Amino acid sequence: MGAAGSKLEKALGDQFPEGERYFGLENFGNTCYCNSVLQALYFCVPFREQLLEYYANNKNIGDAEENLLTCLADLFTQISSQKKKTGVISPKRFVQRLKKQNELFRSYMHQDAHEFLNFLLNELVDILEKEAQASKSDPETSSPSDKLANGPKNGLANGPQKDPLVTWVHRNFQGILTNETRCLRCETVTARDETFFDLSLDIEQNSSITSCLKNFSSTETLNAEDKFFCDKCCSLQEAQKRMKIKKPPHILVIHLKRFKYIEQLGRYKKLSYRVVFPLELKLSNTMEDADSEYSLFAVVVHVGSGPNHGHYVSLVKSHNHWLFFDDENVEMIDESVVQTFFGSAQEYSSNTDHGYILFYESLGTGNKS
Amino acid sequence: MMMHNGSNGYGNGVMTSASSSTATGTSSSPSATNAQSQALKTYFKTPEGRYKLHYEKTHPPGILPYSHGKSVSQITLAHLKEKSTHSGPAPSTSASASTSSGVRYAAARLLGVGGGNGSRTLSFVGGNGTSKAANGTSRSSTLAGSNGGHSMLNSNYDGKGTYLIFNVGDTLFISDLNSPDKDPIKAIHFSNSNPVCHAFDPEAKDGHDLLIGLSSGDVYSASLRQQLQDVGKKLVGAQHYNKEGSCKEGTGDSSFPVIKDQTQFSVAHARSSKSNPIARWHICQGSINSIAFSTDGGYLATVGRDGYLRVFDYSKEQLIGGGKSYYGALLCCAWSFDGKYILTGGEDDLVTVWSMEDRKVVAWGEGHNSWVSGVAFDSYWSSPTSDGTEENVMYRFGSVGQDTQLLLWDFTMDEIIVPLRRCPPGGSPTFSAGSQSSHWDSICPVGTLQPAPSMRDVPKLSPLVAHRVHSEPLSGVTFTEESILTACREGHVKIWVRPGTSESQSSNSEAIVGTSSKEQPLLPGKTSVSSYKSVHV
Repeated sequence: MGAAGSKLEKALGDQFPEGERYFGLENFGNTCYCNSVLQALYFCVPFREQLLEYYANNKNIGDAEENLLTCLADLFTQISSQKKKTGVISPKRFVQRLKKQNELFRSYMHQDAHEFLNFLLNELVDILEKEAQASKSDPETSSPSDKLANGPKNGLANGPQKDPLVTWVHRNFQGILTNETRCLRCETVTARDETFFDLSLDIEQNSSITSCLKNFSSTETLNAEDKFFCDKCCSLQEAQKRMKIKKPPHILVIHLKRFKYIEQLGRYKKLSYRVVFPLELKLSNTMEDADSEYSLFAVVVHVGSGPNHGHYVSLVKSHNHWLFFDDENVEMIDESVVQTFFGSAQEYSSNTDHGYILFYESLGTGNKS
Repeated sequence: MMMHNGSNGYGNGVMTSASSSTATGTSSSPSATNAQSQALKTYFKTPEGRYKLHYEKTHPPGILPYSHGKSVSQITLAHLKEKSTHSGPAPSTSASASTSSGVRYAAARLLGVGGGNGSRTLSFVGGNGTSKAANGTSRSSTLAGSNGGHSMLNSNYDGKGTYLIFNVGDTLFISDLNSPDKDPIKAIHFSNSNPVCHAFDPEAKDGHDLLIGLSSGDVYSASLRQQLQDVGKKLVGAQHYNKEGSCKEGTGDSSFPVIKDQTQFSVAHARSSKSNPIARWHICQGSINSIAFSTDGGYLATVGRDGYLRVFDYSKEQLIGGGKSYYGALLCCAWSFDGKYILTGGEDDLVTVWSMEDRKVVAWGEGHNSWVSGVAFDSYWSSPTSDGTEENVMYRFGSVGQDTQLLLWDFTMDEIIVPLRRCPPGGSPTFSAGSQSSHWDSICPVGTLQPAPSMRDVPKLSPLVAHRVHSEPLSGVTFTEESILTACREGHVKIWVRPGTSESQSSNSEAIVGTSSKEQPLLPGKTSVSSYKSVHV
């Protein structure tokens, strides 16, 4: 581990960013899905900073109960407080906690990095909401475990019921979609807001993220089997539906739907499509006045030809350098190498390393803490 | 001669299926076609008629590993005028050549090779005097092939002397443009680095009419005629400049001073008048992806990683203007023949029309589903409604993208609809005050770069035609008098003949194109070309 570390240090030389740590993560048997996402989150600087800040402020209160939030904060603190600049760390406690918490991740089978990210963010939100409730209702005596049953199940709080708590996880990742449905009979537009932590996009061969986002927001007609119940007409009607981004998130997480259920095969198949993603991106299908601009800072890459096996690695941009994280290994790469993870233009290709989850950070001053 | 594939382990993956990779190659039917390429049509319709697939040009499959898109095929057309005697320069004239001629220009993509800060800052615009630059052709030369007399060069198929030059992997291929033969007539191998760009100038005084740029930063100038006469696989009689990117900063032996401010445009001239390149234009941080001279050679446009188009007065060495893409890098640029407009394309999936007069973006072409990798004006096209007056000029241009599509566009300034002042439809009235678009009202001073316009401020164009022309992402488009050429990243070129071009000319191709699933009729004298395959029919 010393050798690999010193190689990276040598490569960066005196450009090694002040105070930054680049640590590989040990793999405990098929935990690369976890490692790749953890690296992306660690180098999501506003998230990291707020997690560490939260942890520093709440250390005393929460030291009784271990949960995923404390385990994650522990891990990040451990990395950031290393004396050495590079090396390998074992995320053992975090992985154990994860497996305890969710049986899905307990087996040694190959796991989906997106599912893990989704689970983790929702879990963090749950924990924060419970703590907030606990301190509000009964700050002295309540222990979080009592309230397990009645917290809001996930971050998707629809409609106006109360004021949903906005945690720092929300402030980083949460965006709002508006689902507009126009009844083709009475022309009434029904708008429904949904919150999201990431956008899952359908992909096409030889397309771009821009194009996938456009398709995501394109107008879809609901008819035949799939009619819309119009409240005004009080009946099923043909309608037009489209998704607009009402509030773009500070951290835009884009999940490419590379694993598709193929009915004829009766199983999932990996789509190796070439989907190009730019290093800068704008969302133009927003309802806000200015087009919000984003910069790519992390990519979780799925390596392999099938959905049930393979490997995950991540690419991370830190202080204007691109780094490649493959479990224990960390290497510096040139920006142009990012292009080799777009996918293949032909179905059968030796290239099986494909961008799977993209992390963009807003360049606007917006709601950065 | 290029059939021996030996130990190449890559052969199967990209271009062909495994079944086609027999060691010696056969003349059998193209089993390598996949479902995608079979769905491609061999024609497309436009208001003026059908464009038909005339010929395809490719290279022996399997021999070249396609390594993660690091070298993208570019095409250059070259028209060799007849010369009574061979006039290629003797290598010994190099000393004087460097002052009288040498590298006129080349856009070299310096793919960050190891060195220091990893920023790729060089673009070469060497010059041999501005008067000479008046004939500047862009990297994807649109001029060759049609203007010139019908000279008779023995080896050339139809005597027009038009050749197609394209790079694949470590090799530069030369094909006879008007011959039905798919395979190149010449391959030049580079052992150390991959050729990434090339240009041809028929007017080059010393006969060094072919420029080649390598990913290492090396630049060669050579005589195309001399290459065609040589039987070897190496570049012959070439001048070699910027060896291993020696102009790059920090290499010690550079003849240029250190760049003081990486963010500022600066021009430095070589300390010695004998050296070449003669000047270094430091344009921006990050790579430069494409450059183009205006037809009269007076202006130079550059686009790059930072997303900016920059336009320079070439002789004054001054920045005139430019602007930012909507977002992401710009990948290609091209001038209109009259120098009034510049097209750019890039990672925002847009084709941008830039007006020299207004020094701003006047239209965005929406239609590609991926990055735009090639743009070109069709200078041979004239609008059927054109009355010949200067007032109402209609332009035709084409673009190709990584979505495998060729798009054709018509554009006239008269029909551009300037968006109304900001008042979002159905939006809150509070928006309309104060946030008025500055894009159309402001005057852009000379020498300034414009920020990215907002989506709402730029008029949109829709394509006239959208056609999937290849099964791989495209890299270039070129117009000639008779046809449109499209190239994909892997080095397959298709020639689409214009509507109404004589049937006699296209009859050959009908036979070839039309029989994709059967045995190819071998042409007389071509029986030895055993690699003849129809991959993309």
